[in-house]
Amino acid sequence: MKLDIVTPLGRVFKDEITEATFPGSEGEFGVLDGHSPLVTNLKPGVITIKKSDGKKEIIAINWGYVEVTPDHVNVLVDGAVPIAGPDESSIAQAIEKAKQLLKDATDSDALVATVSAKIENVARNL
Amino acid sequence: MATLKELKTKISSVKNTQKTTRAMKLVSTAKLKRAEESLLLSRDYAKKINEVMNEISAKLCSIKDTISLRAFANINEIKKIDLIVVSADKGLCGGFNHHTIKATLNKINELKNKNIKIRLKVIGKKAIEYFKFTGIEMYEEYIGLSSSPDYEKAAQIIEKSYNDFVNEEIDNIIIIHNGYVNKLTQEVYIQELLPVDVSETDSQEFLEVEPNDDYEIILEELVKKYIEYSMYYVLLDSLAGEHSARMQAMDAATNNAKEMVHQLTLEFNKARQEAVTRELIEIVTAIEAMKKK
Repeated sequence: MKLDIVTPLGRVFKDEITEATFPGSEGEFGVLDGHSPLVTNLKPGVITIKKSDGKKEIIAINWGYVEVTPDHVNVLVDGAVPIAGPDESSIAQAIEKAKQLLKDATDSDALVATVSAKIENVARNL
Repeated sequence: MATLKELKTKISSVKNTQKTTRAMKLVSTAKLKRAEESLLLSRDYAKKINEVMNEISAKLCSIKDTISLRAFANINEIKKIDLIVVSADKGLCGGFNHHTIKATLNKINELKNKNIKIRLKVIGKKAIEYFKFTGIEMYEEYIGLSSSPDYEKAAQIIEKSYNDFVNEEIDNIIIIHNGYVNKLTQEVYIQELLPVDVSETDSQEFLEVEPNDDYEIILEELVKKYIEYSMYYVLLDSLAGEHSARMQAMDAATNNAKEMVHQLTLEFNKARQEAVTRELIEIVTAIEAMKKK
């Protein structure tokens, strides 16, 4: 299944994946190959991706729109920060940026806290 | 016949101009590269959002009549529209701004003939100056946005128009801008943003929309993003066009200056030679005259 994440400032992610989890406006949902067609809004949060080669990737977003079809997923977002980097300090920087993105996107402290915790949790396993 | 000194100052002044235009060309080339890059990056999003729009509108075709969003409605009578014109903030870019203004004037006349009222929103100093000079009334003016496109600001401008559209104050939004085709060509584009075109297709695929009860919220969000993004894209496109136009104009100016320096140097040499010959003749005649005595 192909996943494509784009922002007005450029493409963030495009690759073959096996699994992805999105922060849908009605709650988190996962998408596997052959998912039935769906469109929905995303709220601020993180997209967790499992690539075909087994590697995990996470991307923080502030708003989004996702369209799922059985063989591809299109995600349109306003702002996105991939949590990745060659070493620990760059990952830490990315996490800071992601937190800032979330803070700007929402007034709810609880949401920022939960998502931040989640990002840090996943980042520890990277 | 100009004197030698006059010619000399003229040559040096043309040379100076040539230096300026060459520098401006180099600056434009560098800026164009950057503008082009952001445009290319942004094209991915443009493609995707168009794709998604098309797919969704095709799938929603069957329930088209039940959608109460005005963006999808058929508007038969158009009374008032928003005309958004995007020009550059700076001049010295050939016919770039002029083409945009000309296209705008044509459109205004066309709309006036149909008895449609126009609210003119102008982005870019050059077009604003022109409309002020000719006394055409503007509804809103924005300076500084076309030289540094910003998504947030673009979104704000278009959101106002969209809200007026939803409140039935206006019936369409038209954007005019001079866009970038390649390094040598620009083209004036006239885009009608609303209503969103829902094309009929045969595929009646099943599509689940969440939240189920209110797909209109989702559609509206998407339409908003779509026009916000269109506005932003127009700004990027216009900026790239501006730089490519300026690059060309400055290149032509540099070449012209070079040609002029060449011509003037020829003239200068001729004048110098003439002066030398004249002096020689004077000396020779004087000597001859003295010999006779």
